[in-house]
Amino acid sequence: MRQVLEGSHAISEAVRLARVQVTAGYPITPQTHIIEAISEYFADGTMTGRFIPVESEHSSMAAVVGAATTGVRTFTATSSHGLALMHEMLHWASAARLPIVMGEVNRALGPGWNIWMDQTDSLAQRDTGWIQLYCEDGQEALDTTLMAYRLAEQVNLPVMVVIDAFFVSHTFEPIEVPDQADVDRFLPPIHPRFALDPKEPVALYQMAPPACYMEMRRSIDLAMDQTAAVFDDVEDEFEAVFGRRYGSIETVGCDDAEIILVTTGSATSTSRMVVEQLRGQGEKVGLLKLKRFRPFPVDAIRKALAGARKVAVLDRNFCFGVGGIFAQEIRAALCGLEPAPVMFNFIAGLGGRDIPPDLIEEIYTTTKTHAAPVEKSIWMGLNEELLESCGI
Amino acid sequence: MNKPISLFISRSNTTSRINKTGSWRFARPRYLDKTAPCSAACPAGVDIPKIERAVAEGRIEQAWQTYMEENPFPSVCGRVCFHTCESACNRGRLDQPVSINRLDRFVGDTALEQDCPVDQTVLPSNGRRVAICGSGPAGLSAAYFMTRLGFACEIFESNSQPGGILQWGIPAYRLPKAVLAAEIKRIEGLGVKIHCNQSVDADVLARLQASCDAVFLGVGLGRSLSLDIPGSEHMADGLALLEAIQRGAPPGVNGEVAVIGGGNTAIDVARSLVRLGALPVILYRRRRQDMPAFEHEIEAAEAEGVRIAELVAPKSIEPSDDGVCVQLGGMKTVETGADGRPRVVPDGVRNTNLIFSAVYSGIGADVAEPWHRPDGDDGESTIQLSHCILDVGSTPLVYGGDPILPLKSVTDAVASGKQAAMGLHAWFEGGREAIADALDRSQVGPGPALSMEIYLGGQRRLRARHVVTPEEINIDYFQKKERGSAATLPMEKARATFEEIEATLRPERAAEEAGRCYQCGLCNNCDNCRIFCSEVSIEVVDGKRRIDFDYCKGCGVCVAECPRSAMVIEEERA
Repeated sequence: MRQVLEGSHAISEAVRLARVQVTAGYPITPQTHIIEAISEYFADGTMTGRFIPVESEHSSMAAVVGAATTGVRTFTATSSHGLALMHEMLHWASAARLPIVMGEVNRALGPGWNIWMDQTDSLAQRDTGWIQLYCEDGQEALDTTLMAYRLAEQVNLPVMVVIDAFFVSHTFEPIEVPDQADVDRFLPPIHPRFALDPKEPVALYQMAPPACYMEMRRSIDLAMDQTAAVFDDVEDEFEAVFGRRYGSIETVGCDDAEIILVTTGSATSTSRMVVEQLRGQGEKVGLLKLKRFRPFPVDAIRKALAGARKVAVLDRNFCFGVGGIFAQEIRAALCGLEPAPVMFNFIAGLGGRDIPPDLIEEIYTTTKTHAAPVEKSIWMGLNEELLESCGI
Repeated sequence: MNKPISLFISRSNTTSRINKTGSWRFARPRYLDKTAPCSAACPAGVDIPKIERAVAEGRIEQAWQTYMEENPFPSVCGRVCFHTCESACNRGRLDQPVSINRLDRFVGDTALEQDCPVDQTVLPSNGRRVAICGSGPAGLSAAYFMTRLGFACEIFESNSQPGGILQWGIPAYRLPKAVLAAEIKRIEGLGVKIHCNQSVDADVLARLQASCDAVFLGVGLGRSLSLDIPGSEHMADGLALLEAIQRGAPPGVNGEVAVIGGGNTAIDVARSLVRLGALPVILYRRRRQDMPAFEHEIEAAEAEGVRIAELVAPKSIEPSDDGVCVQLGGMKTVETGADGRPRVVPDGVRNTNLIFSAVYSGIGADVAEPWHRPDGDDGESTIQLSHCILDVGSTPLVYGGDPILPLKSVTDAVASGKQAAMGLHAWFEGGREAIADALDRSQVGPGPALSMEIYLGGQRRLRARHVVTPEEINIDYFQKKERGSAATLPMEKARATFEEIEATLRPERAAEEAGRCYQCGLCNNCDNCRIFCSEVSIEVVDGKRRIDFDYCKGCGVCVAECPRSAMVIEEERA
């Protein structure tokens, strides 16, 4: 049924439909609406199982780790500092091979205190062994959450479903909320590959000495590699039931493009419009939307970008001392490609600043009119007067 | 479909208990109950936190038995005690002290109402008889505790009714006499004989010493002090007024009446005069803040309309047409004296003559006969203790109560009777050294408060003497909550009758108030230690918490998170 929902509630609806059994959570803006709705579902009996209120995000991940170890379907959600606080437990969840799904609403890290959109929080967790899926809008958030359970439970790795603060989390859109029966068909009850059982007690996750630690890590790596293929299978099945699919990447007009713009999240929607307009004016421009960040779809990206002369990566995040994080990864993915496109890295929209269509157009024009980038990272839309007044 | 990658995680069918993390420990936590500051500050050493816990949990009779262990007068002291316990209460740092005094009264009154039987350890008869002279709080307490220690006690009281100062000196609006009578009757119920109208003079004392194994002398201060000024014969005796009121024959008073003094007697006299319809004015030679009366009593007196004229000393009293004329000389403070209060001397300036309808003395009392207290010859046979003095020259004679107490309070008198009982018992067991040992062993905290429960070898002896400080309370676990109060008579009614001013706490209010108690130093099974233990190495066995040292790493979180300092952590010894 089509409903007008905000992005946060698209995720909480998916959690309800997935018949999640245990949810733990701690409120943090802009994530709170997700957990709030789920807590109400548990309270009024719409969802059965346990909602565990905790005193911190570290504990909420610890709680779902504990619950998932018993073989139930689990969920939590967080943002920004909450995610940073979870860091230790993120490693735990993946190395424990638990199919936990987490909603993560991208928000800037302080100080200065900022509750708005910025991807640095989730990207800083890229090495924790979690599958990361970035969503463009509410519908994709709902669909991705449902698919995340299939994916997680098949490869035994945790999945982070990522949406933009406010631009997606608090924006109301018409969203197709599937019927429970269809979801049940797509997502049957969890059949854990292992579960703690008091009747047959075992100890899990104890010390792994040098003699076996590397092998354990290798098995995680292989599972992550396999995720790429499983992801496609899950999308096939999802499409068969619901008629929608997203791909690890999505390309728009890339086949004949000389310049390809790479985006993630809600900035993709704006870029779709700009690219369409530019192509209408005869510009050879394409768009690559990156959805699956972990595992990183190297082959698909190389293939999509191979024909372009230039690539402009839009990063709504920053790694100090290097540059935009998506740009780093794409640069590495293209390594050795002959002829390699020239890489431009644009930094825009940090800490909730808007990325309007004319800024995207400016990114395109800058890329088109320069043979090579003038700077390693090009910061867009900076207020020069403000910088100057601060002596910068 | 892709074949799933094998899961490679550590898993074992043997328990992780094989890893005895206790071997990492270099510090060892331990449950150790300590001493609550209230109980150490109580002259009678009453186990206050234990009582409050029982009240909070609705076990009122147990609370009462705990009180009775150390003091036979819960309903009396719950009304008249000056509650040093509350001044010492650690909760005072957070909001206000626990209303311990009101809770004592609640416990005592509930037991009276339900006619609870005294269930205290009573040692088998030791075959010794003790004559107790005086049935005030010291004598009655001595009888109570001595009976429990196996002595046969008889009390000799010169007055027509027992109770001493409790009966005759403390006005009924503070202590209804039915309450006193009930608590005295309970002591009689243990087998104590009280002979009223039996004065003890020197001859009788000699006979008692000859016929008994020991004598306790606690006859109080029988002679009111008078001022040595011209016309002092025109001054009436305040204590006699209080007694006359109690006998139902108060004199007629009206208009402005002077009360001379600054102690509790002066306050009692003034407040009683208010109730007889007079307008009392307290004349005090020092400043108001130097008055030895308890502050809450002074405040109550002022609230009832008693005026206090400070820094004035009567120089003479003359009869006048309207009553008496008091010539007052102004005083001024000079350097601080040995007692911490400034000395006062005449200022030589402010001299006034005031007319009153009457003048009452309220400057205190002294012993009626010199032999009511020891002669001060600290000879071989004298054993001086904090709350009593033993003369063991021949038949042991124990001096107790107000004549020998530096601080003259009802609860100190109770402490005097208790110490006398322990002292005498220990003397017969093993002489002078046994007294020192027994009293040292029975101290609550650093003393001088003594515990009969400890003396008799009860569980309380296991507590550390250390008195829990406010800094040792984990204040994060306590929320501010208003101190409990009880209903009081409307002021107009209170001023017009001798009816008791304050009501006893209601049961639900009492439970709530007792719940404010931190339980300083006493484990109350809150289980914080067990909840916080990351090694899950605290278990409950038969209701007691036990640390499994095979796994305790000595992190100390249990000790840090104990709200009430009922644990300690110590260096692990190899």
